[in-house]
Amino acid sequence: MKKVELGYLVLETGEIYAGLWHGQSLPNRAGEVVFNTSHSGYEEIATDPSYFSQIVLMTAPMMGNYGVDKASWESKKLWIEGFVCLQLNNSQRDHAWIQRLEENQIPMLSEVDTRQITLRLRNGGTPWGALVAAKTPEEAQQKANTLIAEKRKIEKDWVWLASRREKEIRPGAKANGPRVGVLDFGCKENILRELESRCSELVIFPSRTAVGEILSANVDGLMLTNGPGDPGDVQVAPGTVRELLGVKPIFGICMGHQVLGLALGAKTYKLKFGHRGSNHPIKDSLLGKVYMTSQNHGYAVDLISLPAHTKVTHVNLNDNTVAGIYSESKNCLGIQYHPESHPGPHDAVGLFDFFIDQMIKKEKS
Amino acid sequence: MKVKWGCSLPKCEDIKKVLIIGSGPIVIGQACEFDYSGTQACKALMKEGLEVILVNSNPATIMTDPEIATRVYVEPLKVEFLEKIIAKEKPDSVIPTLGGQTALNLALELHEKGILQRYNVKLLGADPQVIRAAEDREEFRGILDKVGARYPQSEMVRTFEQGLLAAEKLGFPLILRPNYTLGGGGGGVAYSIDEYKRMIAQALHESPTSECLVEESILGWKEFELEVMRDSAGTFVVVCTIENFDPCGVHTGDSITVAPQQTLTDTEYQSMRDEACKILNEVGVQTGGANIQFATHPKTGERLVIEMNPRVSRSSALASKATGFPIAKIAALLAVGYTLDEIQNDITKVTPACYEPALDYVVTKIPRFAFEKFPGAKDLLTTQMKSVGEVMGIGRTLQESMMKAVQSLEFNAEGFPEINMQLEKISYPNSQRLFHIYQAMREGKTLEELQDLTQIHPYFLEKLFDIVKVENEIKSAISLDADLMLKAKRYGMSDALIARLRNQKTKEIRAFRESNQIRPSFQQVDTCAGEFASETPYFYSTYWSKVSAPAKFRQPIMVIGSGPNRIGQGIEFDYGCVRGVKALQRKGHQVIMINSNPETVSTDYDTSDVLFFEPLTTEHVGEVLRWTSAQGFVAQLGGQTPINLAPALVEQGFHLLGSKLEAIDLAEDRGLFAKICQQLEFKIPKAAMVYYFEQALGKVREIGYPVICRPSYVLGGRRMEVIENDAELQSYFDRHAEAISPERPCLMDQFLEGALEVDVDLVRGQDWVLIGGIVEHIEAAGVHSGDSMGVLPPQRLKDSTCERIEQLSSQLADKLGIIGHLNLQLAIKNDEVYILEANPRSSRSVPFVSKATGIPLVDLGIEAAMGTRAKELKPERFQWRNSPVVSVKGVVFPFKKFPEADSLLGPEMKSTGESMGIGKDYPEALMKALLSSQVKLPSKGEVFFSLREKDKMELLNLANELIKMGYTISGTRGTANFFINHGIKAMALRKVHEGRPHCVDRIRDGHVAFVVNTAKGRVSIDASFDIRRACTDLGIPCITESDAAEAFLLAITHSRSGTSDVGALRSMEVM
Repeated sequence: MKKVELGYLVLETGEIYAGLWHGQSLPNRAGEVVFNTSHSGYEEIATDPSYFSQIVLMTAPMMGNYGVDKASWESKKLWIEGFVCLQLNNSQRDHAWIQRLEENQIPMLSEVDTRQITLRLRNGGTPWGALVAAKTPEEAQQKANTLIAEKRKIEKDWVWLASRREKEIRPGAKANGPRVGVLDFGCKENILRELESRCSELVIFPSRTAVGEILSANVDGLMLTNGPGDPGDVQVAPGTVRELLGVKPIFGICMGHQVLGLALGAKTYKLKFGHRGSNHPIKDSLLGKVYMTSQNHGYAVDLISLPAHTKVTHVNLNDNTVAGIYSESKNCLGIQYHPESHPGPHDAVGLFDFFIDQMIKKEKS
Repeated sequence: MKVKWGCSLPKCEDIKKVLIIGSGPIVIGQACEFDYSGTQACKALMKEGLEVILVNSNPATIMTDPEIATRVYVEPLKVEFLEKIIAKEKPDSVIPTLGGQTALNLALELHEKGILQRYNVKLLGADPQVIRAAEDREEFRGILDKVGARYPQSEMVRTFEQGLLAAEKLGFPLILRPNYTLGGGGGGVAYSIDEYKRMIAQALHESPTSECLVEESILGWKEFELEVMRDSAGTFVVVCTIENFDPCGVHTGDSITVAPQQTLTDTEYQSMRDEACKILNEVGVQTGGANIQFATHPKTGERLVIEMNPRVSRSSALASKATGFPIAKIAALLAVGYTLDEIQNDITKVTPACYEPALDYVVTKIPRFAFEKFPGAKDLLTTQMKSVGEVMGIGRTLQESMMKAVQSLEFNAEGFPEINMQLEKISYPNSQRLFHIYQAMREGKTLEELQDLTQIHPYFLEKLFDIVKVENEIKSAISLDADLMLKAKRYGMSDALIARLRNQKTKEIRAFRESNQIRPSFQQVDTCAGEFASETPYFYSTYWSKVSAPAKFRQPIMVIGSGPNRIGQGIEFDYGCVRGVKALQRKGHQVIMINSNPETVSTDYDTSDVLFFEPLTTEHVGEVLRWTSAQGFVAQLGGQTPINLAPALVEQGFHLLGSKLEAIDLAEDRGLFAKICQQLEFKIPKAAMVYYFEQALGKVREIGYPVICRPSYVLGGRRMEVIENDAELQSYFDRHAEAISPERPCLMDQFLEGALEVDVDLVRGQDWVLIGGIVEHIEAAGVHSGDSMGVLPPQRLKDSTCERIEQLSSQLADKLGIIGHLNLQLAIKNDEVYILEANPRSSRSVPFVSKATGIPLVDLGIEAAMGTRAKELKPERFQWRNSPVVSVKGVVFPFKKFPEADSLLGPEMKSTGESMGIGKDYPEALMKALLSSQVKLPSKGEVFFSLREKDKMELLNLANELIKMGYTISGTRGTANFFINHGIKAMALRKVHEGRPHCVDRIRDGHVAFVVNTAKGRVSIDASFDIRRACTDLGIPCITESDAAEAFLLAITHSRSGTSDVGALRSMEVM
């Protein structure tokens, strides 16, 4: 009989879950353990920089079903620290997803009771944890503790770790469209694709770019992108954005939205277990619609701390948390979820048009 | 701090009284899923404080229970009757989207005839433009062009000649889709010009608009279905994605399907979702549920739209059960003005209904077929739906859910037993294909070969093959250890299958499993993959999770459901289960429902206190009983399925409520039963048990021909035939050899030719017996009770005979020791009462009897099972004869779907559903029942007779009456000459073998209004097949029995008088 490799997901709070370990000599890795309820889109998720330093558990049981495709990558690499699901497609014909994770040194665990872990994360919040190969639970525990302690020592400003270090200029597809600056907090490629189709040129800045440099680039508006980690730990950017408020039209997505919130003087807080999935209902009073959205965030902007000129225009109907803010006077918009989707529904894509056709146009006129 | 949003829109204040149109009798393509959706919608609207008026002609439904709506009308689903109801009730609106194609078509007709306008009634959910846009294929294609969606190349054909041109242009194979038919009726795939010519003629006939779309073939493409909802504000959600295991070419109702979709990338899926939304907006669906089917090319990913339905459907029932999202309920609330964000998610109770369910499990649906009921019908699946029911299996993985679904079919406890694999059963889609594919994998066929033969996506074949690999591991293991056992269970294998693989007994496997604490855990269907806490007790079992702690329920009692719908065991039993659940709840119990049928009301999450979606096998039911610590289980409501499970469950120590096993045995075992009848000095037909031909030949000399033969322990009269002579007897034993053995002998009974048959439904408590009613069959003995029309109260029985029947039935119930339901089938010949059959359970006729008499029979059965005494219950309050109306049960048959099948009725049940006609007298009730069964009642024209010798004299008078009423008469030469000799003007026509033009030509040419055709003996039956087939194809009434002909005359007489009224059902309370 084939030898079954045992692997463990160990939580810092002591829970330990045994499952099937895949791949040859993959490293043990640690990260925050989170769950995502999307049925599809595993490759987009793994390449989304917002998952930096996270072990992702998929609640949908069957993964790797449709293989892989580099066209769906949201950045240049895989960012997750580990991949957990119930069953990984592993047939002679198609084991491409396992292979992809293996090539990128991402540990994976399957045949583990994902629902039990999900309920644990839902009830007790998202702790740190580690995926380790071990012979016994005790050994796993020990390895995990070391890894987690190690991992905790890294730089706190994760946005800086995920951001580009060099300014990049990309041509847009629309010659008469605006020039838009992008402050990269760990940007998903599809934000850029959505902008490219509406702009003449994109100027993409590293997260710690100074105000002066952005101003001197003479862009028509500024996009603040998604990115990983705690917005409270982000250096430089909140100050930069504060100075640009009312100066440039600003559109923030996810981390960008949270940084915008901080710049406006609001506070952010950690959600118990975050929002990660493709089925979150949003009431959008800016576009006047209720629709489904793609979400991936662990923090949120606190409503009470917002200044009077900023309205809460988007609400997550599942838990009534703030999902979007808009200030007409400062001409800035923050959206907590992902109008660029990938993965997830395209229902909110009109917000890019709102940014280009209303906020930037208004500024120009 | 969080934001609070108030409701922005209250429901429309001008909606106060709503008419809901049901879907009528169960037919293939439109079954009890519409009882589920209608019942759910009625409940939701009643809760909103609206007055709900319901009309449906199907008595077997829960939705027609008087307590479901404000007033229930069991009336024909015909415009003239709907108009009468509208005039009487004056509703302000109609919801037509919950009763399938029938309700949509009726709504269109009500609109076109100006009736809605005249009475100022609004259509909610779908207006005429929407219905046309989605249903009219040309309009629909215009919409697809507008939104940039692609569809298969096709031609709209209105004449036979156009059809030939279209075929030339598009090339074979071709798919035929007639307009406005349900379940793809009249459609199919044509591979050659000959086949095509026959099919296009039929398709044009089937379509009410004589239109048929002839379409390029997309055989082998992947097929998907999105179940979607939209509200008046434009919010759009996909409730469920469904992927077909069978590629395009098989009707989605006949396909094995899996949810959620498995093989699309997120990009492909989101693009499909966008397209669905655009189509829905463009069609103009303002509120409600809809489904859209897509095909995608397995290699290129090219996507085509197949069709959409702007209403709740069979798939939406499946989607609701698969996800926990109550589509019909939400659709009803949207129709009266709510938006999705204003409605709470019933399952989580904390999130709104505008969301897309996330699944952390997989659901597999497998259809159940009934080809064996229609000798001659080809077991071949096409774009015309043929299945009569379906099962759903829930598991954490595809393999676990697939195996649970297979076990739910109730063919074999092993799920996949060893079979003789046949290659042609793999290369052509048919009802047994899955089993042959699996067997082929066992026998070493490669996945590539199988994919080549079937074009099924390799993903699905691989997952199936994974199970076969585990089988091999089990077979080759030196001993079965706990790890391997757990693995087998995780791959969904039943104890019975593992036992066979190990050459052990199922009991031993179970004991080993239990001793290793390998038990299923029970997980919630919570709509959100665990993201939010949910209290809703809707469970499925899995071996992928740790064993759950035992559940705590208040005095829990389990009601075992009836499994997949099949001919002989359908919605009537779900009616019983649902009523039973409510009755037990009223007595203070928490009720556990277990069932595997996604179409039913019983599997709605709020019907019972706890719902288990599980295969109805000893293993799964036993585990649930154990986990819930149920005090007992009810086995007499779900038909034969729970009765068959009862002995093994009792053996495991669970408590059977109602009649004990001994009583069940006495009634079910013909030998024991015959002895009891003899002791009581009741008449029974002469009978013998035989298991080979020579023995039968000997016994038949004692009994005398005709005899009626059938294997023991059967439901719905499977393999039951009337045998007239030795040659037929020989043929019977040849054809049914595999079903007859010393363990399962053949029963041979004296056939009481010409006898009057009745059904008796009674309930017995410890010290009381209550007769629910006597249903007199309209056809004489020889037609299965499920197929014969029936009337309550009896019209031909003498009062004294009725009294004797009541007395006899009560005595028999006492003697058998029945507690709860007993159904008896009796025959009356020359004033003698014979007992044909006793069923120790609630029967098919119980809903009809309850609705005809107002007596809550199921509730009384529960009272009996729970030990209520006569003193408390006062059963004498319930007098079935007090009913002021006459009720007739009508029947519907699926012969249209089986082109090779004969419509002649016999002892084997063939009907799929029933209707009910309620009238002030017998003729009115008959007329309504026939209309409800979609039988035309021609008021003039030619009546064609082809009669067997014995009926000629009997029907002479009828022919005379018809002449007086202005009909003309024709007949085959023998029959016509007989009429002429007796002074009746008749035209003689050639029989088919006498050359053309013959009688069938005349029928097919449309000269004949209706046909009376009785035949006896194989030769004569075969000779007249074409006559009956022509009638079936053209929808011409064809009466095959002389008593039925008399009844038909009464109905047309009443119909011509034009006086009919409508009335709401009445009911009585138990306590």
